[in-house]
Amino acid sequence: MCGILAVFGCVDCSQAKRARILELSSRLRHRGPDWSGLHSEEDCYLAHQRLAIVDPASGDQPLYNEDKSIIVTVNGEIYNHKALREQLKSHKFNTGSDCEVIAHLYEEYGEDFVHMLDGMFSFVLLDTRNKSYIAARDAIGITPLYIGWGLDGSVWFASEMKALSDDCEQFMAFLPGHIYSSKNGGMRRWYNPPWWSELVPSTPYDPLVLRHAFEKAVVKRLMTDVPFGVLLSGGLDSSLVAAVASRHLIDSEAYCQWGSQLHTFCIGLKGSPDLVAAREVADYLGTRHHEFYFTVQEGIDALEEVIYHIETYDVTTIRASTPMFLMSRKIKSLGVKMVLSGEGSDEIFGGYLYFHKAPNKEEFHEETCRKIKALHLYDCLRANKSTSAWGLEARVPFLDKEFINVAMSIDPKWKMIDRDNGRIEKWVLRNAFDDDEKPYLPKHILYRQKEQFSDGVGYSWIDGLRDHANKQVTDSMLANANFVYPENTPATKEAYYYRKIFEKFFPKNAARLTVPGGPSVACSTAKAVEWDASWSKNLDPSGRAALGVHAAAYEDTK
Amino acid sequence: MCGILAVLGCSDDSQAKRVRVLELSRRLKHRGPDWSGLYQHGDNYLAHQRLAIIDPASGDQPLFNEDETVVVTVNGEIYNHEELRKSLTLTGHKFRTGSDCDVIAHLYEEHGEDFVDMLDGMFSFVLLDTRNNTYIAARDAIGITSLYIGWGLDGSVWISSELKGLNDDCEHFEVFPPGHLYSSKTGGFKRWYNPRWFAETIPSTPYDPLVLRRAFENAVIKRLMTDVPFGVLLSGGLDSSLVASITARYLAGTKAAKQWGAQLHSFCVGLEGSPDLKAAREVADYLGTVHHEFHFTVQDGIDAIEDVIYHIETYDVTTIRASTPMFLMSRKIKSLGVKMVISGEGSDEIFGGYLYFHKAPNKEEFHEETCRKIKALHQYDCLRANKSTSAWGLEARVPFLDKEFINVAMSIDPEAKMINMDEKRIEKWILRRAFDDEEHPYLPKHILYRQKEQFSDGVGYSWIDGLKAHAELHVTDRMMLHAGNIFPHNTPVTKEAYYYRMIFERFFPQNSAKLTVPGGASIACSTAKAIEWDASWSNNLDPSGRAALGVHNAAYKKNTGPVGSVKLAPNIIDNVPRMMDISASELVIQG
Repeated sequence: MCGILAVFGCVDCSQAKRARILELSSRLRHRGPDWSGLHSEEDCYLAHQRLAIVDPASGDQPLYNEDKSIIVTVNGEIYNHKALREQLKSHKFNTGSDCEVIAHLYEEYGEDFVHMLDGMFSFVLLDTRNKSYIAARDAIGITPLYIGWGLDGSVWFASEMKALSDDCEQFMAFLPGHIYSSKNGGMRRWYNPPWWSELVPSTPYDPLVLRHAFEKAVVKRLMTDVPFGVLLSGGLDSSLVAAVASRHLIDSEAYCQWGSQLHTFCIGLKGSPDLVAAREVADYLGTRHHEFYFTVQEGIDALEEVIYHIETYDVTTIRASTPMFLMSRKIKSLGVKMVLSGEGSDEIFGGYLYFHKAPNKEEFHEETCRKIKALHLYDCLRANKSTSAWGLEARVPFLDKEFINVAMSIDPKWKMIDRDNGRIEKWVLRNAFDDDEKPYLPKHILYRQKEQFSDGVGYSWIDGLRDHANKQVTDSMLANANFVYPENTPATKEAYYYRKIFEKFFPKNAARLTVPGGPSVACSTAKAVEWDASWSKNLDPSGRAALGVHAAAYEDTK
Repeated sequence: MCGILAVLGCSDDSQAKRVRVLELSRRLKHRGPDWSGLYQHGDNYLAHQRLAIIDPASGDQPLFNEDETVVVTVNGEIYNHEELRKSLTLTGHKFRTGSDCDVIAHLYEEHGEDFVDMLDGMFSFVLLDTRNNTYIAARDAIGITSLYIGWGLDGSVWISSELKGLNDDCEHFEVFPPGHLYSSKTGGFKRWYNPRWFAETIPSTPYDPLVLRRAFENAVIKRLMTDVPFGVLLSGGLDSSLVASITARYLAGTKAAKQWGAQLHSFCVGLEGSPDLKAAREVADYLGTVHHEFHFTVQDGIDAIEDVIYHIETYDVTTIRASTPMFLMSRKIKSLGVKMVISGEGSDEIFGGYLYFHKAPNKEEFHEETCRKIKALHQYDCLRANKSTSAWGLEARVPFLDKEFINVAMSIDPEAKMINMDEKRIEKWILRRAFDDEEHPYLPKHILYRQKEQFSDGVGYSWIDGLKAHAELHVTDRMMLHAGNIFPHNTPVTKEAYYYRMIFERFFPQNSAKLTVPGGASIACSTAKAIEWDASWSNNLDPSGRAALGVHNAAYKKNTGPVGSVKLAPNIIDNVPRMMDISASELVIQG
């Protein structure tokens, strides 16, 4: 990942302003430790902090078209950049960077090219010929982006809130799948897949089609000039990513440069379920497996930093981000710059345990659509910012545009959980990789139910967080919480504790509005809480016992 | 390098204090990006940010003795750790990690406070003995690693690798003197480093080229100890070229070569077409290293100045000028996956390599000046080399500052070091001569005997001119008029100095902070004392005035007139709209 910051139309173009932009841009330096650049053009500034993954030698940003009249600052990876370069044969490229196509595509097609990009990205483009600019964010919001407005009439864009929150009067999350154009001063959705309308699809389930779509999604993400690995928790999703990556590694460019042994990484408290499960998968696949242990105290010591980095006070996200944040530092220290990760599968396939209670396929499907649309506020935000905090890039093959189209066109009756027919959650995905001849994974792994909601790193992690918060937050603090925090009022001491830290770093009202709230049980949307009357009384965001569907969790609570 | 922070006896063991110590420790995260640790024992806190060079897998800190009663947080490298381990194992000590710094806790157990002199390396550490709640802190002989000490109003003692770890929470703070040990038992400092040369008496050992050569080779070889990729900083001058040559020669047999390949990586930075780039390329070609050239623009450098001053914590003009290219280069080096570099600092001090030494009136004065220069290194080149690289989690090792090597080099009769143009002995002649080997040449003769640029001129003449012009634009005459009132201590005498000082004061506003930076009259890096060598110098006190001395021919020729260059520069860096002509980053790697 990289960090971008752009400011347009500020009244002040002094050295002091330049120094200020440099200072704000350096707040994003963790995202791009390798180099930085600032392009200024009258009252416009485009700043960049670079993590060099493709073409480390010459791809420094900002990037330009041939005559330097178009300037782009990009955070992202464009997986189809070679195919696009082919289409842009008449254009001359200055670098080998995958992101350079953006400037040339704009020259060729104007503002309507964003859908041609296959990848994850946030970018800001300045056209100096008519002093117009555009900004855009990838379909699902895998990369973060914020937009803000200054009192001086300036418009700001930044990869993370911390770069603009102090200087903008108002700001918000830049909507995923949208483009902002200075010509009309507004956002427009460029991402229009068939599933967006939430109409219930009817394509029959074909395991091989799904399998191939996912394999393609993984393979295109092996594009890298630097060492990489896979985050492996030992659950279905990360295990499939690891299995497919290790199978196709040998054909990739990365293989030629970095060797054929896949590196896998797992973190947990000592003896945690994830560590055991991941080790088993790693042994089966023959990967070079790295285990990292953390203690509850180390996790607690990291909380302030985690909240500063991931910019949320959402309880489930913070719980899950902390181990990922700690692991990312260790991974980076090994010289690895990029990891593949399994986010998105639970949303697409209804993998969360509460989906067991979906009343019918229509509700099931609509809930998956809602979950995908909200990903940028939860798992995308976590995966991107926890890793970027240490200059590590996370790629998420489940959120491949093509793959989503395939997976979301399947008649949702196939996704429904049906215990009588032996169909547990994500059965369509498991079945797609159930290959007797050349097994991707052993059957018991392919069909196992794994821990959710950070339980996998060790049960005492969440208990430890709660105990710590209970010591720091008094009853009277919680009693007055709705006066202190009228919006998204924290309902638990843990939530209150996180909120206090968040407010310290991001005191503005606009900041708290970037974080979602509302009732949720075990990661559901507010709407799905209606599925079971008993849930509304027990709104623990990751209550493992609240649902009554996971056998192992049940035993544990006895 | 790593970053250490210790807060001792603060009478506060609350969660809020822990959070504060964690927050302050994070200000040193750039020094140790790989992992962090915090050990708390009552109201004592030892924090650590780790850069893993030796034993990356298990050497996380703080480190302990066997029963965890002695706790240490260390920034440094102990080159003789294997030897020390052997003798400690004989007396029954068991080690938990493979970290080189693990020996410190055990040495303390064995020898009490009097073990620091046994350590060969660069280091700063704090050791807490929980059995009697006492602690010690120490810094290496020359001050290669940075260290500060401070005192809080609550009676606490603070020790930190960088100023920024303690300046906001201490009532008073100072540079921790190099070669010293602080003990809580006495509450005071004691110098543990007592080499012969410290007294500044004139030595008489005759110059023996082979002894000097061997001593330096040993110093380089012991610094090849690493478990991670490394390289050498190569400016193409004598010092860095010798370091590169010896490293290339001895790399093959080392453990490092087995892990990372026998081909040496070398790195050079400069404005495009600068003298250093050319000189370094020539040496790299001769030695056959994998050479990486980084180009920066004057604008890149100016954009980095605030960062540089925040990181290196000084307002000394010469240091800031020289730190900026090193700071930029370090980021690029780190982005290639390299974690450690060997660098040539210290040679000019030991051998009197600065051009003003041409005017040393006699060997006594010459020798005393070299001693003064070595003692001040921690405030200048050590500070620059350590903090410019550590800003990006890169470690710099400096073989010229090897304890043994200094002993050898400083025991030589200074008569041999004196510059004597009649006998064709230019500056650092004894070092050049020591590596003048006809059979197995270390370097081609013309490189071995060439006079190179000094004072950041090597990265390109327009660098310093650009800095001056930039400062000229942002510091008014009226500001200069009142400089003496605003900054009564170390008053800036040039607009450039004023500009740096303003930035420094913003980051480090405390009075203690400005006192950590040296001042006083200087010509071309001399101490104040040496200005007496030439009456004319006192009228022309440019800290790196290349033209002031009249001893370097090349500088004279190229420097067609500083006035001309100053006039040009404002066009480059005048106003923002014009800046697009010099794109913000044009650094390219040529592998």
